[in-house]
Amino acid sequence: MEEKILEVKDLVVQFNTERGSIKAVNGVNFDVYKGKSIGIVGESGSGKSVSALAIMGLIPNPPGQVIGGDIVYRGDSLLKYSSLQMRKIRGNKIAMIFQEPMTSLNPVYTIGNQIEEVVALHRPELNSKERTNRAIEMLKLVGIPSPEKRVDEYPHQLSGGMRQRVMIAIALACEPDILIADEPTTALDVTIQAQILELMKRLQKEMGMGIILITHDLGVVAETCDHVSVMYCGQIVESADVQTLFKSPKHPYTRGLLGSIPSFDSTASTKKERLQTIEGMVPSLFNLPKGCNFQDRCQHATEACKGVKGDPVLKDLGQQHFVACFNPVQA
Amino acid sequence: MSQYLLEVKNLCKKFPIKGGFFGREIGAVNAVNNISFKIKKGETLGLVGESGCGKSTLGRAILRLHEPTSGQIFFDGKDITHLPDEEMRKMRRRMQIIFQDPYASLNPRMTVGDILSEPMDIHQLHTEKSARQKRLLKLMEQVQLPADALLKYPHEFSGGQRQRICIARALAVEPEFIVCDEPVSALDVSVQAQVVNLLMDLQKELGLTYLFIAHDLKIVEYISNRVAVMYLGNMVEVAESHELYGGAKHPYTKALFSAIPHADPSSKKERIILEGDLPSPMNPPTGCHFHPRCWNCKSECKTSMPPMTQITPTHEFKCFNPIK
Repeated sequence: MEEKILEVKDLVVQFNTERGSIKAVNGVNFDVYKGKSIGIVGESGSGKSVSALAIMGLIPNPPGQVIGGDIVYRGDSLLKYSSLQMRKIRGNKIAMIFQEPMTSLNPVYTIGNQIEEVVALHRPELNSKERTNRAIEMLKLVGIPSPEKRVDEYPHQLSGGMRQRVMIAIALACEPDILIADEPTTALDVTIQAQILELMKRLQKEMGMGIILITHDLGVVAETCDHVSVMYCGQIVESADVQTLFKSPKHPYTRGLLGSIPSFDSTASTKKERLQTIEGMVPSLFNLPKGCNFQDRCQHATEACKGVKGDPVLKDLGQQHFVACFNPVQA
Repeated sequence: MSQYLLEVKNLCKKFPIKGGFFGREIGAVNAVNNISFKIKKGETLGLVGESGCGKSTLGRAILRLHEPTSGQIFFDGKDITHLPDEEMRKMRRRMQIIFQDPYASLNPRMTVGDILSEPMDIHQLHTEKSARQKRLLKLMEQVQLPADALLKYPHEFSGGQRQRICIARALAVEPEFIVCDEPVSALDVSVQAQVVNLLMDLQKELGLTYLFIAHDLKIVEYISNRVAVMYLGNMVEVAESHELYGGAKHPYTKALFSAIPHADPSSKKERIILEGDLPSPMNPPTGCHFHPRCWNCKSECKTSMPPMTQITPTHEFKCFNPIK
């Protein structure tokens, strides 16, 4: 059994606005194991990025704050850490790469400088030459050709794929235990995406880190993750190992997401079936329905879903396949 | 009356690169390089390729939103390449465009009703008040938005709803041909499905012809009858959707399809990972632009551009050493 290195327990993150308070993350649980990848899937506004920022202690306060639950890293509660202690964790033990490589790199510093910055912060014993060597070593590790030359280049001189590799280099410079990748390939072309995902898998094998992969792309999850949690309106609605989730999804929302993706049909020349869609829209967090958040869009909704029995909670349907639904799909 | 609604012959679009003290033209980007294709009435031609391949430029050049550098565009048999402004404007009623970013392509200061009325005003359609109102209501119904949306402003709608407004705007003048430039890329997966279904329903109902530009291969393959693949300004392969997926001939097409992650964890497929990055369009490689990344590269690929080879009436490609 792999070592569990991070536990997120009943996490609640609230944002206070003029229009009222909303819970962007409302009771989320997941675990990260050494050498394994967990995928957090959801559409815009599901709370997946906020969950990641909470782990990193990056929730802007005001207007946001963690008001419930715990985040436990190797037995220590990160929520109890001072900002000094958190700074020792960020970029060092737990690192993050973001969606837009364009805006996540500082345009006025060389890429070498930006990698060295992380090293200088967490490895003060290294001198300047050693830091530069480490930067070059990291660029080589992430597959950037001629790293000794490129270390002095600026972000605008690199393509999107290269910039994302630099982000990965910065994140891995101090050999973290956990890598949080927030939509790391969404802004990239599909052939570059394939390269970056291969790279992450290879590095995970070499370095044994746990990965939290946040994405809306189910294809990416299927290919890279061991475990998947599906989020909707700040809550996890279904969670299982990757094979089980894709083979027998039980929550109507998960099934809707999978049905929305066209599958390749290499034989047909006749007109195709309509794509299955999820009717309606994600409700505003300011105006959630009583009971199940998904009821207005659900084809399996019953009276129970309206709130008489309270909100649906995650139940283990067997073999660690959790679903929060009063009427899960049986098939 | 031609059976082809749109025909493009040897279309080129160059963007000059200016430099030096006097801002002289020191080079050019061949964004669209000698492209020819035809689209039948009622057909959807998908256009795929990665960033910088020229697909958006091509889509706009066809509508003369970018003036072509050379080549010809025929719409319903008529050469529109050099039509004077007044006549081109009349043509534009028949050819419309939907853009990628539903947040940037709607004027935030106009109500939805005004946004949809504008093209009708320009083309003097349904000018009588009650006829106009009837037309606006019909458009809202066609894109499945409520009638009261006409009085609202774009910021009051979600991304998917805004895209429906953009579709309604394109339909307002009853066009025959629509260039869909990445119409669903900025939308969530479940919303994408709604918009794709809508576009397909409208095509059936109104007999529309589409040029569907996107980088999401799954969606393109799904909605299109034929798919064209572009690389660095060139069209490297064109075939019917199912021909392309199963039997791509150009190595780039094969790599592109191979790179798509599948929502099926049990499928362990051989993934082709291309080396290196896309070259800069300002400085493309000699000969076949794909040769530095191609595993089938031979000596002739480095020096000359391969000609178009046709293997079925619907399947063409440009390669000296295609996949067997």
